[in-house]
Amino acid sequence: MYLYNEHEQQLIEERVEQYRDQTRRYLAGEIPEEEFRILRLHNGLYIQRHAPMLRIGVNYGLLSSDQLRALSAVSRKYDKNYAHITTRQNVQFNWPALEQVPDILADLSKVQMHAIQTSGSCIRSVTSDHLAGVVADEVEDPRPWSEIIRQWAALHPEFSYLPRKFKLAVSASSEDRAATQVHDIGVHVIRNDQGEVGFEILVGGGLGRTPVIGKQIRPFLQQQDLLSYLEAILRIYNLHGRRDNKYKARIKILVNAMGIDKFRELVEEEWQRIRESDLKLTDTEISRVKGFFQPPAYQRFAGEDAGYLAKLDADRDFAIWVERNTFKHKIPGYQAVTIALKALMKAPGDISDVQMDAVAGLADQYSFGEVRSTHEQNLVLANVKQADLYSLWNALTELELARPVVGTLNDMIVCPGLDFCSLANAETLGVAEQIQQRFDDLDYLYDLGDMKLKMSGCINACAHHHVGHIGILGVDKNGESYYQFTLGGSAAEDASLGKVLGRSIPKAEVAETLAVILSVFVELRQEGERFIDTVRRVGNGPFKERVYAPNH
Amino acid sequence: MRLIIDQQPAANDSWNYLASENGVTPDFSALSEDSDLLVDWCCWQQCRDQLLSRSGRIGVKINGAVEVQALASDLDKLALIAVDFPSFADGRGFSQARLLKDSYGFSGELRAVGDVTWDRLRFMHRCGFNAYEIADERYSEKMLAAFDEITVRLQGSSDDSRPIYRQ
Repeated sequence: MYLYNEHEQQLIEERVEQYRDQTRRYLAGEIPEEEFRILRLHNGLYIQRHAPMLRIGVNYGLLSSDQLRALSAVSRKYDKNYAHITTRQNVQFNWPALEQVPDILADLSKVQMHAIQTSGSCIRSVTSDHLAGVVADEVEDPRPWSEIIRQWAALHPEFSYLPRKFKLAVSASSEDRAATQVHDIGVHVIRNDQGEVGFEILVGGGLGRTPVIGKQIRPFLQQQDLLSYLEAILRIYNLHGRRDNKYKARIKILVNAMGIDKFRELVEEEWQRIRESDLKLTDTEISRVKGFFQPPAYQRFAGEDAGYLAKLDADRDFAIWVERNTFKHKIPGYQAVTIALKALMKAPGDISDVQMDAVAGLADQYSFGEVRSTHEQNLVLANVKQADLYSLWNALTELELARPVVGTLNDMIVCPGLDFCSLANAETLGVAEQIQQRFDDLDYLYDLGDMKLKMSGCINACAHHHVGHIGILGVDKNGESYYQFTLGGSAAEDASLGKVLGRSIPKAEVAETLAVILSVFVELRQEGERFIDTVRRVGNGPFKERVYAPNH
Repeated sequence: MRLIIDQQPAANDSWNYLASENGVTPDFSALSEDSDLLVDWCCWQQCRDQLLSRSGRIGVKINGAVEVQALASDLDKLALIAVDFPSFADGRGFSQARLLKDSYGFSGELRAVGDVTWDRLRFMHRCGFNAYEIADERYSEKMLAAFDEITVRLQGSSDDSRPIYRQ
């Protein structure tokens, strides 16, 4: 993974001291509330319902075992012994004290972690494919490009006071696990007809109040031009994006208002002006960054591990876990393992300090000391030998981290909702529990097949409900939490926005409504058809009819 | 108002600012011919030739809505461009400064005015500003430390176009 050199390390240490002084001046009354709000957001600190919330950046989801241990130590020393994985692969602490945040950041800087631009109206931490470097079909590893973008964006003097937040995702695989089409900028690493590797650039995607699928602004961009092109897009957005209404301030609104062709024209004009400048990436620099993402020292195996195959036959529970929670690796004899943070009755994405320490140990033992966070709020050990899977499974089972539900209805993405978030209109965690309790029969979950359920507690859509196969949006009706369903969304390579099923329903009926939707699916599906494909084929009609039937 | 120029407190401001009101341009005939005169965008657009015929230096103050390209051909005639930051959240001025400095080659005084405080000085400096107008109640000598709080530059900008790997 990328390691900061002494200058880069110095930068994050100086940033901590800068923020320490800002906190001091704020507490001394020298910085007005409204200004400090922006300064603390640039450092990932929100003021939430009960306490501040601190978001630590995990760039493109890559963590060393030592970094995970440091997060665990922070949760013990400054918080309530747990952390939360977010949909942008970051880590959140829900109970830090504002006065202690500089100390937390100082502790984390020792393991090269920070909270730079994890919130606020600036270029946010860059996300990528959590299976980068591991899947067979990728053009090349997308993470060096994510890192190159991160370095360009970090404390960018021109783009730290944008009209609104700005999110980038990079993917290099035909399967899009980074939701690139619903980002402000989506970068696809592709190979053109001449065999050159470069980028397709999408712009103006996003969720929130106005969900939009990103539009192609450039079909192919040369590698060396990546940063000059991004800088041109950001400059046009910074100058022309709306600042009078925060709900109209994202780049998607600008692109839609202007039209993609006009927007492209402005960007390309600006790009021509800056293309031949020091922004042009050098081959040496690209190679230098790529050097940090070389494959680990894999052992050579001729094929599948015999002992592993025997265990698959002998132990059904193990076989089920392998089927659901592991992923095919491009190297023979290896597998990628998802550590499901979807335990029964726990908030999705939550992990305790004990579990963090244990997972760090397992990463050292089985996966080259590296852990990844996913946008579906799980962790991944990407490079596990098949021969080690059985021991790993046993260890994860002990830790209650082996629930074989990855990709099922129970592998939900859920925002913290009304329990923690001051923006939320409705509760989400209790509803997630309700759903988990109702659908605890694993055989039924498996029969339903691949399913993306995403639930947000407000219209800001932090859990990406618009792009869930089933999306649930919490709304407030006279002080009561109600829930609106959308069907048919996807954040993957076949991205689409879900359509609203009908009027919202009360909290007590969420699981029952889901049961009705699923029973309609089971009746209508064709052989091997996924839920989303059935919805695409038959539309919302049959589901709507049954959910809102008078006798129901 | 206090003024910082080239990262040092400046004792005097030689510039006289005259603003238009409701589209009516100010009467600058009362000012001596050779004084430094800063006018707003409205005045500049309406009285450009008259202003340039004076012997004194001319500056223009722009807000975030101004397309700076419109000034490109006159930059060599201007000694000062004041860029207004209407609020702490508004960052259009950063891009305007970079365009003026890097794309159009403005070499005069680039002054940040409006909501200009300690915590954006370094970014303003990096985007090409060399002068800062600070409200009295927000000014302190200590704020000059802002320029050196962070000494590492990962990306190029107006102060140094080179990213860290080219430095």
